[in-house]
Amino acid sequence: MTDALISVDNLRVGYGGRVVLDDISLQIRKNEVLCLVGHNGAGKSTLMNALFGVVTRQGGEISVDGQRLHQPEPKKMAALGIGLVPEGRGIFPGLTVDEIFQLAMWATGVPQRERPERIEWVMSILPRIKTFHARRAGTLSGGQQQMVSIARALLSRPRCLLMDEPSIGLAPKLFQDLLQPIRQLQQQLGLSILLVEQNVKEAFKISDRVLVMRSGAIIHETSPEALADNKVLMQFY
Amino acid sequence: MLLLQLIINGIQVGALYGLTAVGFSLIFGATKIFHFAHGASFAISAYVFYYLYAVLLVWWPFAILAACILVVLFGVVLDRYVYGPIQSADGSFFTIFVGSFGVAVVIQNLIGTVFGRGFISVPSALSRSVETLPGLYVAPTAGIAVVTAVVCFVALQLFLGRTNIGIALRALSESPALVRTFGLNPKAVSTCAFALGSLLVVPAAVLTSMTSGLNAAIGGRVMLISVAATIVGGVGSLRGAACAGLLLGIAENLALWRFDPQWSEAVTFLILFAFIVLRPSGFFGRVVTS
Ligand SMILES: Nc1ncnc2c1ncn2[C@@H]1O[C@H](COP(=O)(O)OP(=O)(O)O)[C@@H](O)[C@H]1O
Ligand SMILES: [Mg+2]
Repeated sequence: MTDALISVDNLRVGYGGRVVLDDISLQIRKNEVLCLVGHNGAGKSTLMNALFGVVTRQGGEISVDGQRLHQPEPKKMAALGIGLVPEGRGIFPGLTVDEIFQLAMWATGVPQRERPERIEWVMSILPRIKTFHARRAGTLSGGQQQMVSIARALLSRPRCLLMDEPSIGLAPKLFQDLLQPIRQLQQQLGLSILLVEQNVKEAFKISDRVLVMRSGAIIHETSPEALADNKVLMQFY
Repeated sequence: MLLLQLIINGIQVGALYGLTAVGFSLIFGATKIFHFAHGASFAISAYVFYYLYAVLLVWWPFAILAACILVVLFGVVLDRYVYGPIQSADGSFFTIFVGSFGVAVVIQNLIGTVFGRGFISVPSALSRSVETLPGLYVAPTAGIAVVTAVVCFVALQLFLGRTNIGIALRALSESPALVRTFGLNPKAVSTCAFALGSLLVVPAAVLTSMTSGLNAAIGGRVMLISVAATIVGGVGSLRGAACAGLLLGIAENLALWRFDPQWSEAVTFLILFAFIVLRPSGFFGRVVTS
């Protein structure tokens, strides 16, 4: 398919001798929000981490813009326009928000002169960060930490955002507040998003397509509308 | 006056203990590696300085520079070629500790073989005491030790607070996995921790060789002080390690008021045990809850 930003073919990933993902194939298209759901331990995080190069794959191909990647690595993926918002707290509790941003831009090789502009840009998307950017991330609320984690991923100006359960530990209202600017940004910039979420009700509202995973395999592809009825969804768990 | 004398001696020794302990604490905090061979780093830099300056009569800045280069190399090579392979093969904290212990023993014996096991010291006009007050003898090295320790510590704090590598070191101490997600190689950051932590040992080693002198077995003693100061100061707190090093130096010297010098290690242990029992999180440590 020509409109695929990321293609994954026959991906196999394991930890030690144990295979967790077997023969996974999927595509993340340009300008879509792709929601990935599945039971705990299905391998959703493993898939994201393998895509971003945090976990090494054992087999299969990962391509960006139709170009096969020899070995995905976080820095390379950031340069290709992909950002990962990892599961859990994506922040260093002892660093201030400013330091986290500085570290992220240095790590991904953003030129010095572009840095202030990038920070200004993410602050315009998530303006509330302005009120706590000088504080240690560990002193922030869960919602604020998640906001920082997303902002940090945005600093590399990604075309594709991989978000691993951003709602964890957040009140539903807070999660909506967080998703709204992301949705707007997605539509403005034509961003692609791979979203893993347990809170399917909120996630489906912004999703274009849904993949269901079970025990390391993708077992179903559908539209969010088709899964809106909980009973249909439950049969896949 | 004797008491004042002992306190001043204690501050001189303690400043150097603090600096050495900060190096150990920095490495341990960032990498979680129990770098037992930190004591060997101390011995290496002291003996390199001694050999170049006192034996070969090299100009002192060059002797210190050579000690710096060698000790950084030692730390980095150890991290890359000893700890690294152990970590990727097995990763157990204890295995790495044993490996480090082994290296420390080898270095101690190597130094003993090359330089002899006897006591050495670097003669210097700076370590000659002057009667500052009636009955109070202070050598310029005391002032140099304190100033050096303060300058190094402040410089380190600025480095950790202001530079990208400094921030990365602090990040590594919190989560190597997230450091990787950010796009850095945690192993490369770890190597920086070893370079920096080892470098901090040089001023202490040089000044010790000029004041109290040393022998091939100094590494073990340095290690005891570093570990004790790290625990007393609170694991993960560089400020704590520095203060605890100072405290240990002063306590050790105050003990001379009533006890023989061979009791000085006992004093270190006593303080260590007191902290483990009464305040296990140390001066500045946060209480670890799991
Ligand atoms: N770092 C790891 N080491 C070993 N096994 C892991 C690791 N991470 C995840 N796993 C295992 O891989 C499987 C998939 O986990 P994960 O990808 O986290 O699932 P999900 O995100 O869908 O809940 C689980 O059985 C989990 O125990
Ligand atoms: Mg997960």
